[in-house]
Amino acid sequence: MNEKPVTDALLRQFLLGKVDDQERQQIETMFVTGALSNERVMAAEQHLLDEYLENSLTPADRERFLAQYGETAVQRRKLRIAKSIQDWASTTTDVTPIRPGAVSIWNRLRTHLNLKPVFVIPIAVSMVAIIVAAVWLNSRWQQRSRHLALEQELSRINTLRDNPQTTALTLVPVSLRSTEAETEIRPQAENPFIELHLIWMQKEQYPSYQATIRKVGDSESFTVANLQPDNSSAIRLRLPTRLLTDGLYQIEVSGVSATGDTGLTDEYKFQVKE
Amino acid sequence: MARKSAIPPESFDEILAWLNPDREVAGAIYVQLRHDLTKIFTWNRCPDPEGLTDEVFDRVARKVHDLRHSFVGDPKLFFYGVARNLIKEVPKKVKTQASLQGTEPASDPLTDVAEETANMRQECLRSCLQRLSKDKRELIIAYYTKDKQAKIDHRTEIARRLGVSVETLRVKAYRIRGTLEECIERCLNRMAHNK
Repeated sequence: MNEKPVTDALLRQFLLGKVDDQERQQIETMFVTGALSNERVMAAEQHLLDEYLENSLTPADRERFLAQYGETAVQRRKLRIAKSIQDWASTTTDVTPIRPGAVSIWNRLRTHLNLKPVFVIPIAVSMVAIIVAAVWLNSRWQQRSRHLALEQELSRINTLRDNPQTTALTLVPVSLRSTEAETEIRPQAENPFIELHLIWMQKEQYPSYQATIRKVGDSESFTVANLQPDNSSAIRLRLPTRLLTDGLYQIEVSGVSATGDTGLTDEYKFQVKE
Repeated sequence: MARKSAIPPESFDEILAWLNPDREVAGAIYVQLRHDLTKIFTWNRCPDPEGLTDEVFDRVARKVHDLRHSFVGDPKLFFYGVARNLIKEVPKKVKTQASLQGTEPASDPLTDVAEETANMRQECLRSCLQRLSKDKRELIIAYYTKDKQAKIDHRTEIARRLGVSVETLRVKAYRIRGTLEECIERCLNRMAHNK
């Protein structure tokens, strides 16, 4: 079979049902064997859906889109839900809360120092800014030092050649297990580390991988670079159990090419119960 | 047409062993393969893609004992071959069913239906958003802000700030929206059930 490269344009034609049988079977075969990444197809579907919801498809493509993605009651409900999400996101404005200022202190200070009112506001604003900046810088510095120390520790334990005392656990990407409950981990005091085997489902393999770990709801995240896959395409990641507290954790693993560029990603989740 | 798959446990074990010697990896491949076949049936506009995927596994289960030793190549291609055969069989079934069940109404799919109003969807959306992390909520808002060309430039800018490609950003948004959609569907089902 004379195979065409699957360009974004061909993928779009395929999703709209505008390809012949040979092209269809070529793309489906590549999809099922993993030669065409699942994420690329899903992203192309997402793009089409966006165009439909924004009413930017041609009438003919709109008709084809609806024949493909809006025929059954279940599909039509999915379209309505997608539209609700898009409408909500496009009308939401980011409102930053404003804290009330501590005016009474400045009134007292003005009276005490007998300052002219015209100088009070600039002086007050400058002093508040200096104090806030100093406190913020100090707290940022402390946070950053702690963060760097933890990332160094993570990097060190993930490059250890010998196996420290660990509990091992295998995780599959969330895209494969959306209907299942999260895998639970109960840190044990006798094991200082937990070793996660993250199954890499992408077709593309990379010389190394990097993982970003965060607790859902926390803004802090830790990145561990230079992770290597083992023989069964699982990426091994060790974490100190003392860092894990009750809650849901998310790990995003990205492939890193020889030139240092990040490639495809997979996402994993687990629930910690102390 | 939805039905339960009736694969005997020993055949299911053989299917897993055929997919990969490591049972954990085989399990992940199995889940992915189910997802891929369901998508293929959907793209081919087959009715009941989930049920047809069950049928593929049932048919392979009946032959897996011999196949494991005789089939050369990626086992997923065999599953796909069975799926293609089923796709050819399906139109006959559709015709028969159409005369009995009728077809879907040809109204605008974005119009409300009696059992599900925009208010219900908004209520479920609000509840499901609370379950998203702050990062994800912010990303999905940022992703859908602005229209047309302004939106494209805006997404390029978000991707640059996050240090990822626009493609990766799109996948991230796809995942977040997927999570939200599943949560909203469950919420709407609960509401319909409690009515």
